[in-house]
Amino acid sequence: MRDVAVIGVGMIPFGRRDEDSLMDMLAYASLKALDDAGLGDQSVDAVYVGNMGGGMLQHQSAIASSLVDRLSLLPAAADTVENGPASGGSAVKNGLLAVASGYYDTVLVVGGEKMREVTGWRATDFVATMTHPLAEYIYGVTLPGMAGMFTRLYMEKYGVTREALVAVAIKNQEMGGRNPYAHVEMSITKEGIYDDHASIVNNPVVADPLHLYDACPVSDGAAALILFPLEKLKNPAKPPVVIAGFGQATDTQTLQEREDPTDLKAVTLASQQALEMAKLKPSDIHVAELHDAFTILEIAESEHVGFFKKGEGAKAVLAGKTALGGTIPINVSGGLKARGHPVGATGVAQVVDIVYQLRHELPKNRQVKNAVNGLTVNFGGFGNNVLSFVLRRVS
Amino acid sequence: MKKEIEITAYKCKKCGKLHYPFHDRCLACRTREFETVKPSGNARLLTFTRIYNLPWGFDQRYLVIGVVEFENGIRAMGQIKVDESVKLKVGMTMLPSWEPVRVQYGENVYGLALAPLS
Repeated sequence: MRDVAVIGVGMIPFGRRDEDSLMDMLAYASLKALDDAGLGDQSVDAVYVGNMGGGMLQHQSAIASSLVDRLSLLPAAADTVENGPASGGSAVKNGLLAVASGYYDTVLVVGGEKMREVTGWRATDFVATMTHPLAEYIYGVTLPGMAGMFTRLYMEKYGVTREALVAVAIKNQEMGGRNPYAHVEMSITKEGIYDDHASIVNNPVVADPLHLYDACPVSDGAAALILFPLEKLKNPAKPPVVIAGFGQATDTQTLQEREDPTDLKAVTLASQQALEMAKLKPSDIHVAELHDAFTILEIAESEHVGFFKKGEGAKAVLAGKTALGGTIPINVSGGLKARGHPVGATGVAQVVDIVYQLRHELPKNRQVKNAVNGLTVNFGGFGNNVLSFVLRRVS
Repeated sequence: MKKEIEITAYKCKKCGKLHYPFHDRCLACRTREFETVKPSGNARLLTFTRIYNLPWGFDQRYLVIGVVEFENGIRAMGQIKVDESVKLKVGMTMLPSWEPVRVQYGENVYGLALAPLS
């Protein structure tokens, strides 16, 4: 297996992008990554596109075939990868394995989603189609609903408080305000969303015990990266970052069949695999992008990855340990909570954000000082298909 | 007329693990022989949520969803038919029934409905 470097990255601002089609967004992010890699007028060997909803939301299939044509990357191999909200992570994995194996040298990975084209009613239903058709979907359960039931159990078992959930929201929206690619750029304070009368209006329940500010927005967006074998990289223009480890694991589709529904086994396994492959421990990680589709997930994942013991994640957030300048800064990009969650884009965007960090090219108010190792967790379904990547700056 | 609860669980003939929904191979021992089991008795509420942002297909203000465990160990999701004023609690005993849970293409779709007993 060859070491695989990320030699180019690109992202477009997430949010509501009425003027752009899904293909526009995938193309814009891809072109930025090609330019960043210095491949402006060159082709690639293969393209992997992470997308969950093109067929349902845009009534469009064979998206990768369309993209290589639009970008004049013919005759590059092209595949669309659909794996729910982990589609982006799965696209990165496919590209990584293709380059690591020696089969391809230059691979474009791009993830994108256009979710604001339909009403919230339709978008909520689209995301809910990943639940079990007979045992879950027919009842009208939504992903916020799944998260609500999980949160209730997690709060009871580990004593997580609403104050800790609010602290995640405040931290990530503060960072989103510093990120030009973030969907939500508005900082918030505890007053108005937690402990006064205005919070009833400002921060209504969406799926109790979760409130509006516990959930990520529904976003449009795309992110891309170029993978290339480290051994063939000569005089790179930017500090090379390698994908030093990856892991992927699955769990039961329904929460009710898990012996302990608060145990996110797939997160533990995927991140352990990624860390072992990179020969690192959780304490060696300097910055992490975790899949905070709901505030509880940032806390739960921080424990399942091993940054904190079970039951300590919420205390760590309240103590500022996961903020920029803390012992393990988490979601410095704003995370899904503020950068947004265009489902097929998220797994790629997380890797792009870690590459920015490890290249040390962010402004001071976003840069984790001297970061060398970063980790991502891309959480598909309700934890039933999880990918994790460890990235390392090459000295 | 009261309808039978049309949930069928699958008990592995080798190791006894109970499955719902159906799996082609046992999640514990991977064998393929199962006996069918119907839920029995009342159910205990394991977790629940009130959802206020509903998906397409539900023209109502909110929906209460819960996961329960029947007396014979079968776990299933269902709709809890209560209004907002009813206080639910994990561990409550629920009366299960088989009732319309949504409408698709103009027809009722039946599923597990739950009402608090205690």
